[in-house]
Amino acid sequence: MDVDYTPSELMAVAGAREIKDREVVAVGLGLPVVAAFLAKRTHAPNMTMLFELGVIDSEPVHTGVGLADPRVWYRAKVLSGFVDILGAILHKGRVDVGFLGGLETDQYGNLNTTLIGDPRGKFRHMVGSGGANDIASSAKRNILIMRHDERKLKKTISFVTSPGYMTGGDSRAKAGLSGGPTRVITDKAIFGFHPETKQMMLISIHPGNTLEDVLGTMGFAPVVPPQVPYTEPPEKDQLRLIREVIDPGKMYMG
Amino acid sequence: MDKLTTLAEAVASVPSGSHVALSGFPITRCAMAFVREVIRQGIKGLTVSQCVGAMDGDMLVGAGAVERLIYGGGSLDRFGRLNCVNRGIEDGSLQAEEYSSLSVAFRYLAGSLGLPFMPIRSLVGSDLMRRIREHTGSDVADIVDPFTGDNWLVLKPLLPDVSVLVVHAADAEGNAWIMGPRWDNVEQAKAGKRTIIIAERVVPTEVIRRHAERTVIPGLLVSHVVELPFAAHPTSVFREYDYDAGEIEKYVQATSTPAAFEAYLNEYVYGVKDHWEYLEKVGGMKHLNTLRADPILGY
Repeated sequence: MDVDYTPSELMAVAGAREIKDREVVAVGLGLPVVAAFLAKRTHAPNMTMLFELGVIDSEPVHTGVGLADPRVWYRAKVLSGFVDILGAILHKGRVDVGFLGGLETDQYGNLNTTLIGDPRGKFRHMVGSGGANDIASSAKRNILIMRHDERKLKKTISFVTSPGYMTGGDSRAKAGLSGGPTRVITDKAIFGFHPETKQMMLISIHPGNTLEDVLGTMGFAPVVPPQVPYTEPPEKDQLRLIREVIDPGKMYMG
Repeated sequence: MDKLTTLAEAVASVPSGSHVALSGFPITRCAMAFVREVIRQGIKGLTVSQCVGAMDGDMLVGAGAVERLIYGGGSLDRFGRLNCVNRGIEDGSLQAEEYSSLSVAFRYLAGSLGLPFMPIRSLVGSDLMRRIREHTGSDVADIVDPFTGDNWLVLKPLLPDVSVLVVHAADAEGNAWIMGPRWDNVEQAKAGKRTIIIAERVVPTEVIRRHAERTVIPGLLVSHVVELPFAAHPTSVFREYDYDAGEIEKYVQATSTPAAFEAYLNEYVYGVKDHWEYLEKVGGMKHLNTLRADPILGY
């Protein structure tokens, strides 16, 4: 049976599917929060969810405007600080999955959340790193969630706030970093990374899109395997949880 | 020792050119009353640091009180960006040194422990690191781990002249309680030469002694204690009061252009004599009472 859903809902569901039970997950705000809460309420009840400022496993009953909103801290099991969360858990190597969003990413999954334009000329400064660079550097794997758009999936990004596979190949490992991005989830497709070249590689296309829709709206050419399946659509119960329990006010799903 | 004083006296103890660590995190527990008084007193040339840039830092930058900002990026959450900080970076008038949350926290941690430097895995391979090297030259360096031979990036400690913390409760000596998450505040206080505590309420030392496990800032670090309700307004204090959405929206609007922000400062900072007049200006007890936190929810 066909179920109606939005591209954002499919992105959240695809994000949730990347989380395994008992994993430790570091999230920023927005779609990643929906993905993480969805995973927790379905197949990953024993996951641990971290917010950088010092919050572990909160259970919000109201939607917050950001990590600085006490609505997001409600019913937490731990309230501490950066050194505890980003230091003793993340830097120590205990975070399995980091979820990151951003302004731009390139074919190696390097992420820009800092500025748009020419950093040595005219540019607009936006937000910066927060914990994003820390998560990109120390989580065992990272999942990027981005809108599928030529201005976001670019050949060259304005600024590398958080490293992905840097210049590809073994350049990340040579710089002393393990981990790296394993998935890029957009509103048209899901990508992984080629095991050797570390270039972004198409894994599945969201139903309703063609290969041309996906490739024609990107600033670089990803690796395309001969057979690319469609992304599995959301299940009814996942949609119900998103709409009725996790984000009834459509704060994150827009 | 009794360190109770007025906000004006505590602020007057901060000379122009000082390095001030601020307790705010985007729109919560920001040292707003403190920065408004700094602006009124005309203190300038400050170095401001915080792990995540917040409304307190942004207002000081917008008022022209900051020469140098050391931070890990920041915003006003969904309300908007740090318009004053961003404008200063874009037009080159602000010397902004941009890190990540953990790298600023580790710089405070090194300072708090009296260590010469702190190794970190963050920043490696990013343009953040490239820019920090270009701008400061000396606040990051490379070393070889003497035990394993691995290469590490190391950070210089941050040693604020004064850390300014908005807290829930403290006694007259400055033994202070922070409820809820504390982000970088404890490391800020311990790294600094001294700390100014701005407490929602001052309690007898006997109250502190009965729940001493809640004390996250020992009084020995503290130089001044100021009792000042709603000192973080329009930002929130967990379990005390919620953020004031209307007033934060006004701030975001006002910071969209320098001219509009000058008018804002004239009305809300220069146009009032002190924090008490400011609270009247934004609606007095009748309005502030609507922001009181629900004791179960904490907001």
